[in-house]
Amino acid sequence: MPQNRRLILAHLWVAFSVFVLAAALGVWQMWVRSPLAAPQDTPARYYQSVTGHGVSMAYVLTTFFIMGFGYFTAETALKTPLPSARWAWAGFWTALAGVAMTVAAILSGQASVLYTFYPPMTATPWFYVGLVLVVVGSWIWVAVMLVAMARFKRANPGAPVPLAMYATVANAIMWLWTTAGVSAEILFQILPAVFGWTQTIDVGLSRTLFSWTLHAIVYFWLFPAYIAFYTMAPRAAGGRLYSDTMGRLSFVLFLLYSLPVGMHHLFMDPEHSTGFKFIQMSLTALVSIPTLLTVFTISASMELAGRLRGGKGLFGWIKALPWERPMVLATGLAFFMLWFGGGGGLINMSYGMNAMVHNTAWVTAHFHLIFGGTVVIMYFAIAYEIWPSLTGRAPLSVATQRLQLWLWAIGMMVMTLPWHYLGLQGQWRRVASFNYADPRIGPWGPLVIVSLAGGVLLLVSAVMFVMNLLPRRAQVRLPEQGYSFALAVHPPQRVPAALNGFTVWNVLVAILMLVAYGFPILQFFIGNSPQAVIHPLTGG
Amino acid sequence: MHEDDHDGLTPAQIAEAMKATPRGALALAGITTGLLMAAWLAMYFLVFLPRGSVG
Amino acid sequence: MSEADERAIVRSEIRWAVVAIAAVSVIMLAVIFAAIAMHINPPSNVERINPQDLHLSAEFTEANLGTKVEANGQITARIVATQFAFVPRCVVLPADRPVTLRFSSPDVIHGLLVSGTNVNTMVVPGYVSQVHTVLRKTGDLLMPCHEYCGLGHSEMSGTIRVVPSAQFRPGPDGRVACAAK
Ligand code: HEM
Ligand SMILES: [Cu+2]
Ligand SMILES: [Cu+2]
Repeated sequence: MPQNRRLILAHLWVAFSVFVLAAALGVWQMWVRSPLAAPQDTPARYYQSVTGHGVSMAYVLTTFFIMGFGYFTAETALKTPLPSARWAWAGFWTALAGVAMTVAAILSGQASVLYTFYPPMTATPWFYVGLVLVVVGSWIWVAVMLVAMARFKRANPGAPVPLAMYATVANAIMWLWTTAGVSAEILFQILPAVFGWTQTIDVGLSRTLFSWTLHAIVYFWLFPAYIAFYTMAPRAAGGRLYSDTMGRLSFVLFLLYSLPVGMHHLFMDPEHSTGFKFIQMSLTALVSIPTLLTVFTISASMELAGRLRGGKGLFGWIKALPWERPMVLATGLAFFMLWFGGGGGLINMSYGMNAMVHNTAWVTAHFHLIFGGTVVIMYFAIAYEIWPSLTGRAPLSVATQRLQLWLWAIGMMVMTLPWHYLGLQGQWRRVASFNYADPRIGPWGPLVIVSLAGGVLLLVSAVMFVMNLLPRRAQVRLPEQGYSFALAVHPPQRVPAALNGFTVWNVLVAILMLVAYGFPILQFFIGNSPQAVIHPLTGG
Repeated sequence: MHEDDHDGLTPAQIAEAMKATPRGALALAGITTGLLMAAWLAMYFLVFLPRGSVG
Repeated sequence: MSEADERAIVRSEIRWAVVAIAAVSVIMLAVIFAAIAMHINPPSNVERINPQDLHLSAEFTEANLGTKVEANGQITARIVATQFAFVPRCVVLPADRPVTLRFSSPDVIHGLLVSGTNVNTMVVPGYVSQVHTVLRKTGDLLMPCHEYCGLGHSEMSGTIRVVPSAQFRPGPDGRVACAAK
């Protein structure tokens, strides 16, 4: 049983409460965008809501979930208490203060700049200061994770760091690299401008620094899902992980290739040349490799489980799997959504092909599927899985858990398939209201209503999720229990130093970043890089 | 490995189940990846290229 | 579970990795083919311009905006993207002839797409965004601003009016404008 249960639960409850509220905002947004009459239908309210929804889902849900799950993993996989619960709590309160500040800024209406806050449009300073505090809180988490792993290695010379912890630390290190870009943007460009010390901003530079963060951050969000695929799902299915080494290798490849690829978000930007766009496109293609490897390794682990349960033939093992278990069901649904979300991603990353979809509803559909779908459904499954060891209570019945997971997957498909199609028709992003009277836009109406229906299913599922976790009277207390991660077919006795630490990989990341981002950033310091006057949010 | 971590599977059971593994996984991953490539190529030829040159 | 068994696992993983790399290579080759043979590239001309006095620049003054046939026959449309409109709102271009679109912004970041085509670019203050293309479909194509640029973003939309080449008749100064409809 983890020692710091309250710490872990505090993180998870912040994540999940914010998540439910944000899901409600999401549905209201779908409603406003649709041809149906919605309450409070003004652009100011819409963008306030999208900022709240985006910040909550992308920054709060994820960061708090990952921190809480990281502490859980450190204690259960290493079987020792955290090196410093006091620091961990300090990180929690720092990040929570940041959330409070950011939320207050959004509520004031002075921060409707969306979660990407592209300058030279600017919000009230408290919006950015709050976000910085969230990041600082997460850096404390990174430090605790690094120390926990270092202590384990010192106490167990030569022993492999358990895969779940190795992956968690890979994510922590990646996060440190990731946040460098946006931190530099906020600290050196945005804060001086919003506090009034400078009047202009180099927008090309700010976009480039944000792109440094923008791709790797999605892998930061994705890591827990992959950790669950490798170290939880095989055991839940009654089998073992097919290959521990492939797990390590995949996590290392994510660390390497998530970072030097962020410029694929700038394919349509005028401030970069085709050369560097092409280099980063090629590196992006490489980041699909660890995902394809994962598809195989996890399929093989599941096949092993199915065969252990008596499954026969080429596909008979699939039927033999215990689909009634939430972790197994969620893994299946997550991979189903990954097919669509990953496929969309392959199109987005394809250089010239990005022009077909850039900044259309296709992109919104893509990231809701892969992030809201594949990733978040695994957050649900992880919560269900670890709840007994955290609270001494089982979540509400397994049947309601399954229903909740199904609703989420179905709702996500119903919401995003029409969105993909409309994106190809030219429906653009971040729109408070469409002019359905325009004959070029009118035909989109019915499909927008279909995706609204998908959004309603998602909200129902989100509420069910929290209800499943809430404590209830008359609940059976379970005996104290720890948590056991999946074993590998060949549990590693020793692993090569490179796959038991990160020194080599950090050096490689540094080299790759220099190649991918060196000149693209340097160019803004050569000659007279244009400066744009800042524009505090206006209009409406 | 911690004792209480053991999943109760015996080496003999695993060896038996590993005999046919990963043929099914290879088939499943192969088919889904194949379909994925087909979908990508369909978008490329049927939607993207007809929309014309830009640059 | 023997050594041999472990080696079999590694072999199967390598075999799969080859499949994965092959799949990704197909995509890379197709993309390179589109770039080189079909001339579909991201707009990337990296041309700087001072956003603070864009309206004073020779190129993006009010009088020079819209479609113009240059002396050498090249057809260029110049458009300013500004909170919350494209100037001009409507631009005429001929079908089936090479045309160039040039955009810049004096204020914040905008972007645009032309529906049903591969025309898509960000408009970043400080840069000229340029797209060369050949439009095949005639009619009024939708050209919305696709990057959030403030509370009026939803209303920021323009039109590309594509007319058959024969009906594209520039005036003596080489300019063509949308007739009121
Ligand atoms: C009840 C479920 C959900 C609904 C109905 C919903 C709906 C929406 C809508 C309508 C938008 C605005 C799109 C636009 O204006 O172009 C949006 C944006 C966004 N959604 Fe969701 N969403 C849901 C769940 C999620 C989840 C689970 C995540 C991720 C964990 C997520 C992440 C985001 C982000 C980051 C944005 C900001 C996009 C931007 O600024 O353009 N959403 N969502
Ligand atoms: Cu990305
Ligand atoms: Cu706009």
